[in-house]
Amino acid sequence: MDVIEEIFRDQQAAGETAVAVSEEGSRVLRARLEQILDGLREDCGDVTGAIVSGVDGMAWAQRLPAGFDQNRFAAMSSALLALSDNLVKEAGEGSPRKVLIEGEGGNVFLMHAGDQLLLTIFTRADSNLGMSLAHANHAVEQIARLMAKCDD
Amino acid sequence: MNGMAQEKIIFTGPVGAGKTSAIAAISDVPPVRTDVACRGEERAIKDTTTVAMDYSYIQLDDGRRVHLYGTPGQARFDFMWELLTRNGLGLVLLINNDHPEPLRQLDFYLDAFADFIRQTGVVIGVTRMGIADRARLDDYQARLFERGQVYPVFEIDGRSGDDVRILVQALLAVLTI
Ligand SMILES: Nc1nc2c(ncn2[C@@H]2O[C@H](COP(=O)(O)OP(=O)(O)OP(=O)(O)O)[C@@H](O)[C@H]2O)c(=O)[nH]1
Ligand SMILES: [Mg+2]
Repeated sequence: MDVIEEIFRDQQAAGETAVAVSEEGSRVLRARLEQILDGLREDCGDVTGAIVSGVDGMAWAQRLPAGFDQNRFAAMSSALLALSDNLVKEAGEGSPRKVLIEGEGGNVFLMHAGDQLLLTIFTRADSNLGMSLAHANHAVEQIARLMAKCDD
Repeated sequence: MNGMAQEKIIFTGPVGAGKTSAIAAISDVPPVRTDVACRGEERAIKDTTTVAMDYSYIQLDDGRRVHLYGTPGQARFDFMWELLTRNGLGLVLLINNDHPEPLRQLDFYLDAFADFIRQTGVVIGVTRMGIADRARLDDYQARLFERGQVYPVFEIDGRSGDDVRILVQALLAVLTI
């Protein structure tokens, strides 16, 4: 079952107005999310891949390098972010902003994008962290705005 | 390294079997939970689902502390199964009897955790027995027999501390044999 399609069905069932209630609508939403990810990669050459997934670990839209299994990355992202949220809250540090992982061969950022989605971004090891983060923040804002529009 | 080893048991089983509830029901402290809102098909079963793990601990009567880990039920989180069972003492497998094919669920989880079970041990708790009598305890035992396995099977309520404590005691008893 297509997740994006499902979410709109849920909203409809709950009597909420949804911008897109059809298969067409979910296709459009995915295309918009992919556009945002494409924009991110164009603006920031250090980004090697990105995926938008639900907090429950389902993949929504991705621009991942060949060979990456989007389902696994979506699930791992939500698990890692959920645990990080708990850690930050339990330490009394308020709401979590993002998780940064420095790998030997590259970096990974995990961020909430609105309350239903999260964005995972992969960047090159030698990339400018501040610059990549600024672009990542911009993409998060775009996604959150898009979803807020869908929720109205 | 041994001084660092913690005694931990792992709760697993399908979505909605009651893993998160069971750990909450017996733990000494508020558990670490990673439940998020469900979507789609899962929403029909319940409102929230575990995406990383549940964690807590209990003090046994003999003073031993046992750490409790709950896995996510969804198969897409199977990478957590492997992580959480590492160095574990044994497995508590919860099966939701209010499922179209609970015995297939039993097979699936016994197979998925086969290596861990072989090295340690398992007890099985069947939940929601009262709601749906799709399979009875006999049926579970018969299926285990077909598989050539003998494990303790209990009917439990995942929300009942007494029920879950019995499961844990049974597991610890199995492990010392
Ligand atoms: N009737 C009944 N309800 C139960 C029982 N055990 C748990 N529940 C209820 O079932 C629902 C789901 O329980 P959870 O503990 O979240 O299930 P879980 O196994 O952690 O599920 P996932 O994290 O999604 O894999 C909750 O509303 C519980 O109150 C039981 O033995 N009988
Ligand atoms: Mg759970």
